[in-house]
Amino acid sequence: MAAQPSWSLARRLLMMTLAFVVIVWAVTTAVVWELTQHELNELLDAHLAQTAALLATGELEEDDRGVPLKAPTLIRRYQSRVAFQIWHKGRLVARSADAPDVPLAERGVEGLSDRAIDGTEWRVFTTARHENGRVEDVIHVAEHTSARRHVLLATLRGLLLPLLLALPLLAFGIWWSVRRAVAPLRALSRTVAARRPQALDTLPEDNVPPEVQPLVRALNGLFGRVAEQLASERRFTADAAHELRTPIAAIRMQAQVAQGAATDGERHAALTATIAGCDRATHLVAQLLQLARLEAEADSGGARGDGPRPAGCELAQVVDETVRELAPTAAARGQRIVWHAPGAPVPAATGAPLAAVLLRNLLDNALRYSPDGASVQVRLAPAATDSGALLVVEDSGPGLDEAHLERLGERFFRVLGTGQSGSGLGWSIVRRIARLHGLQVAVDRSPALGGLRVLVRWPAAPTT
Amino acid sequence: MRILLAEDDELLGSGLKAGLAQHGFAVDWVRDGVAAERELLSGSYQAAVLDLGLPRQDGMDTLAAVRARRLTTPVLVLTARDAVDARIAGLDCGADDYLVKPVDLGELAARLRALVRRSHGVPQSRLTVGELALDAAAHQVWLAGEPVELSGREFDLLHVLMLSADRVLTRDQLEQHLYNWGSGVSSNAVEVHIHNLRRKLGSTAIETVRGVGYVMRRPAAS
Repeated sequence: MAAQPSWSLARRLLMMTLAFVVIVWAVTTAVVWELTQHELNELLDAHLAQTAALLATGELEEDDRGVPLKAPTLIRRYQSRVAFQIWHKGRLVARSADAPDVPLAERGVEGLSDRAIDGTEWRVFTTARHENGRVEDVIHVAEHTSARRHVLLATLRGLLLPLLLALPLLAFGIWWSVRRAVAPLRALSRTVAARRPQALDTLPEDNVPPEVQPLVRALNGLFGRVAEQLASERRFTADAAHELRTPIAAIRMQAQVAQGAATDGERHAALTATIAGCDRATHLVAQLLQLARLEAEADSGGARGDGPRPAGCELAQVVDETVRELAPTAAARGQRIVWHAPGAPVPAATGAPLAAVLLRNLLDNALRYSPDGASVQVRLAPAATDSGALLVVEDSGPGLDEAHLERLGERFFRVLGTGQSGSGLGWSIVRRIARLHGLQVAVDRSPALGGLRVLVRWPAAPTT
Repeated sequence: MRILLAEDDELLGSGLKAGLAQHGFAVDWVRDGVAAERELLSGSYQAAVLDLGLPRQDGMDTLAAVRARRLTTPVLVLTARDAVDARIAGLDCGADDYLVKPVDLGELAARLRALVRRSHGVPQSRLTVGELALDAAAHQVWLAGEPVELSGREFDLLHVLMLSADRVLTRDQLEQHLYNWGSGVSSNAVEVHIHNLRRKLGSTAIETVRGVGYVMRRPAAS
């Protein structure tokens, strides 16, 4: 059934209803055949017996010449199919016009029997009169078996003919009703097909049959989710365009300053600034792409839920590599990353690349907003029995006040006036990764360094 | 010509300051909305370039605040907010021009010159007072059709005086118009430049109003 091309509902209903009707009719016919045959046999056998009894009471005079008497034919048509014989002491003394010369039943048989004589099937009732233990008279009353079949077949014809006439009518009626019944479905599909991709308003749920309502509701739900995603994407592009304008404006301006510079020193300064602007724009674009990729991953996450989960990673090693990677950046401003490595490996369910992105963004923020020469601390606590691994990044920067803490992780949100050219995307990326992997991210003031403290807690490993 | 620049982005701000200086503007640069409001209200600027996404106070609030104080200095909004609604809101809030980043340096300078010109009620880019003609865009001065070589400061001073023709400007006002922060102003700098201008343009070109300041007078219609 599954491999078959899907049948239309109308065709399915039509086929099933017709098949059902035909089966019911066939069973009915079989039952009627059986019952009729039974009743007919009883009735006609009774007639045979009755006639035999009648003949037995009559006194039949034998022809002197020994020629059996022939009964007159009264109704030609049916009389040919019924016959009788009267035997007296082994001699045929009387018979009907169409009766054969041989006995209609085997010798010794009394009551009902069937016999074929010269290719004709007879149903026979035999009665005998005994005298002193010897058979004196035998009376056979018989009937063509085919006559009975004809009656039965006529009955069946009466039953089946209307069906043959009714079936096409029935098929048309069913087809028409089904078409009428699925009209709302077709109207719905026309409405959906005619929609522009941008039209994501809900479909009306009233004027729809109850069977179709779940479909309409599901569609409306889908429209809602698509609209939400579309809006979020539009917001993202608008935000991205907005955020890219300032770095590009800076690059252009510095390039034009270099173009119009009167002295080598001025040109050099402007070109240096142009390159710095390009680096900043590159960083911003890289982060935008990273975020877009993460969002795409989050969107398709449900669909790929049964796919192979990426392998976990060893957190201590990831931190080790990331700290080493960022050390030169830190050193450029006289900063230091203090990394308290745990003695043992710390496994986590997050893939190494994502864990590195998470950590790099946290460290990048910490370094960016810490003063020159400051140090940033990274600690890693292995998983306990009831909780997963814990990563802590602390800095001695200005920290954040309550209002800013709340807005952390909004796309492109950054605290203005810090003199730092952050993109405002780092935290969006961190939050997104956290949401993808069920990490808990808490932010507060560092008791040790006075700046921002970020705690990332992995979920407790499932006990398997 | 002295311009206030309010921009919090270091790279863009330094570029704008240097670029506008190349086009003959003396630029003072502030990095937040509160400072921008304070400096604009000092009245020392011919025009201002205002970013909207500023720390401490949004550029729109700064603009609304100074317009509420009846400040008429032309303000050019330079921002990344490109939505039509944002442009309309900016202009309705009191901006005289609205440019979306990124912007061409030459166009920005031309728009600033146009704003300054219009704020002085001068329709053409070429100013004339008597036989003197000054083209701010070309940075050129003619006396009776003959080009005159002037230093940058002398040009700026003449520009301000010609824009305010028939109005007396005090020495302080002239200083404010000419010098941005950090440029060392000697006590008699204005007098020195006036002296040089008179030498190049004729002694009657600039009139001294004793105890008040200086003025350029249009010749009475004959």
